[in-house]
Amino acid sequence: MLAMILAGGQGTRLGKLTRFTAKPAVPFGGRYRIIDFALSNCSNSGVNTVGVVTQYQPLELNAHIQNGASWGLAEKNAGVTVLQPYASSEGEKWFLGTAHAIYQNIAYIDLYSPKYVLILSGDHIYKMDYEAMLAYHKAQHASLTVGVLPVTMQEATRFGIMNTDETNRIIQFEEKPKHPKSNLASMGIYIFNWQTLKKYLVDSYSTDGRMEDFGKDVIPAYLSHNEPTYAYAFHGYWKDVGTIQSLWQANMEFLEPDNPLDIDDRSWRIYSRNDALPPMFVTSTAKVHRSMIVDGCYVAGEVDHSILSQNVKVGTGSVIRDSMIMPNAVIGKNVLIDHAIVGERAVIGDGGQVVGTPDDIAVVGFQEVLGRMEEDD
Amino acid sequence: MRKQDMCAIIDLNEPSAALAPLTDERPVGTMPFAGRYRLVDFPLSAISNADIRTVGIFLPKSSRSVEDHVRSGQAWDLDTITGGVFTFPYVATRDYDDPANVHRYYDNYLTFLIKSKSEYVFITGARNVSNIDVSALLHFHQASPNPITAVYRSVPTASANPEQEAFVLDADNEVTDFAASKDVAERKSNHTKPISMQMYLTRTDYLIELLSRVQNSGKFIRLPELIHQEITTAQANAFEYTGYCATVHDIPSYFQANMDMLDEEKFHSLLFSQRAIYTKNKNEAPTYFAPEADVLSSLLGTGGRVYGKLRDSVLFRNVYVDHDAQVLHSIVMQGSRIGNGAHVEYVIMDKGCVVGPDVQLVGTAEAPIVLKKGTTILDQSAAEEVLQS
Repeated sequence: MLAMILAGGQGTRLGKLTRFTAKPAVPFGGRYRIIDFALSNCSNSGVNTVGVVTQYQPLELNAHIQNGASWGLAEKNAGVTVLQPYASSEGEKWFLGTAHAIYQNIAYIDLYSPKYVLILSGDHIYKMDYEAMLAYHKAQHASLTVGVLPVTMQEATRFGIMNTDETNRIIQFEEKPKHPKSNLASMGIYIFNWQTLKKYLVDSYSTDGRMEDFGKDVIPAYLSHNEPTYAYAFHGYWKDVGTIQSLWQANMEFLEPDNPLDIDDRSWRIYSRNDALPPMFVTSTAKVHRSMIVDGCYVAGEVDHSILSQNVKVGTGSVIRDSMIMPNAVIGKNVLIDHAIVGERAVIGDGGQVVGTPDDIAVVGFQEVLGRMEEDD
Repeated sequence: MRKQDMCAIIDLNEPSAALAPLTDERPVGTMPFAGRYRLVDFPLSAISNADIRTVGIFLPKSSRSVEDHVRSGQAWDLDTITGGVFTFPYVATRDYDDPANVHRYYDNYLTFLIKSKSEYVFITGARNVSNIDVSALLHFHQASPNPITAVYRSVPTASANPEQEAFVLDADNEVTDFAASKDVAERKSNHTKPISMQMYLTRTDYLIELLSRVQNSGKFIRLPELIHQEITTAQANAFEYTGYCATVHDIPSYFQANMDMLDEEKFHSLLFSQRAIYTKNKNEAPTYFAPEADVLSSLLGTGGRVYGKLRDSVLFRNVYVDHDAQVLHSIVMQGSRIGNGAHVEYVIMDKGCVVGPDVQLVGTAEAPIVLKKGTTILDQSAAEEVLQS
């Protein structure tokens, strides 16, 4: 099985955090970027050939993934390939939708002639065994298996909902239904029999070209052509971090020692590309409680219920509360940061204040500079 | 400088008896340091930062930890298409009664040096923890006609270890001999003694010629002694290193070097300079500080969980400090656990040690208690037994 991670989305709802970077490259939990979860799940599931489809601001994502060695995905005749839009004799090939992006990369997938293709999105926080899902797909003799998450009926109105029969076969797909008939929300995780999917895509693009999106176009086509399509229910922790609020919320949940994501589980590690940084330095003026800190950090102020990512500096007299600080941010002296997300390489000058509320998280953007540092005495 | 203009030799056969039991199963070169590193990371990083890509590592008797740490050399950009890491196995001294082995000893060095096609060779060990600019050392060497440059640091006479090797310098600041620092006159200008860092730079063809000459004579003289002899007969430059340096030669010096890293100035000088220190990467989760955690003046690796009190301590990866535990002035290595209400003060815990609930272990700055790898102390009577032995 070969995996395709759709990592081209801009993540507009993350505002200033994704102005210069793609959503899957957004830092999470102090040590990770969002795409690490999908990549580590692939590696832990024995899926060793992964195409990462990029489009929007791919620079950081490329720098992060490199040759895939950080996830153990740099084997001979396998590994990670970053797939960017390209021009050809038939014109430019910007990706117009999720299914279109797969269509544009048929040549890549055919290089490995896989029997099955796993489609993933690069913007969810979860641990999932794709091998178990494949076993289910095979047992059902399915043409398509859709990963679904049971949600509450209230939440169901915000998702693409799969209505199934008693054998879990999908009989209807409804996008954000007002009156949901089922609570099985699509996770954007699909296993396709490759030859069948390829036929649908090629046929479509040689005629009307309508197969742009998996949810809108491909699944309805599969259902109307009676392709055996099944739902595979996932019961673990799963979080879409598509908005500032949900990104903050997921980070705060990550802080809880009994978080069901269980990041300390060494049998299903989440890998990331790490720089070799010195250990964290907690000085004689620091106070650290209910927080997570990683290497390269220097803490001289107070950190309460917050996450500090790699290489974050916190000056004396500063207070960081209920916040997530992204890598390489520098926080001066006597700064107050409360209910906030501080972007990568941001600088908060001495005496600065970044204060949000639980319902309105304050955001300092990627590389944004607020105020200035006073001279050292 | 082109990447092949210089090669390096790291000799990990360094005295380790005074560091037992920490060196029972590892050489000085792979002793864990400052919450994250192994001592060999410092010479490897210095070499990498000087764009050297050909390194010969002469392995000590217990080399498993070296092989496990260095692997392909990728962490230091040494897994290149030309050059790379070359390892040379340990041969016991008694085996040098056999002339064939003596011949091979020199062959190992010669083969490496000839194949490196380098113009210069940097020779170092790992026990002098420092962040040396090898490019600057090369420029210094090139500016002088002398065949060898030896590296020293100035140590105030009052704090110099009397037995440590020092340079005897002449009026031109050239090395004429070596002696124990107590027998070397202090430099009147700044009341210091020039302590040797056992690092040398020389032309590769000069060293090849020297080794071939000894090989043909049939005598057996190890490379470090050979360089000593050569320096006392030929002229050698003395290059002064001015950054942070600690010589790890016994338990107190090892303990102090780690405690030095809690001094911000020394920490930044060694670990946060323009020349980064690289090490093998590990994927650990962030370290969790509980609501009741009370941490001051400490260094911590990732993957830890802290519920208790930490003062002036160095914790490596994946260490667990339970509720009401106190860890003061201590070094706690990877994977160790400190139980509920335990009190650990002036203790060095090697990898994977466990101190049980309410156990009291209190050493002193001069004589820290050392728990060897994997020691488990579940109660106070077990603690007393360990202290007796």
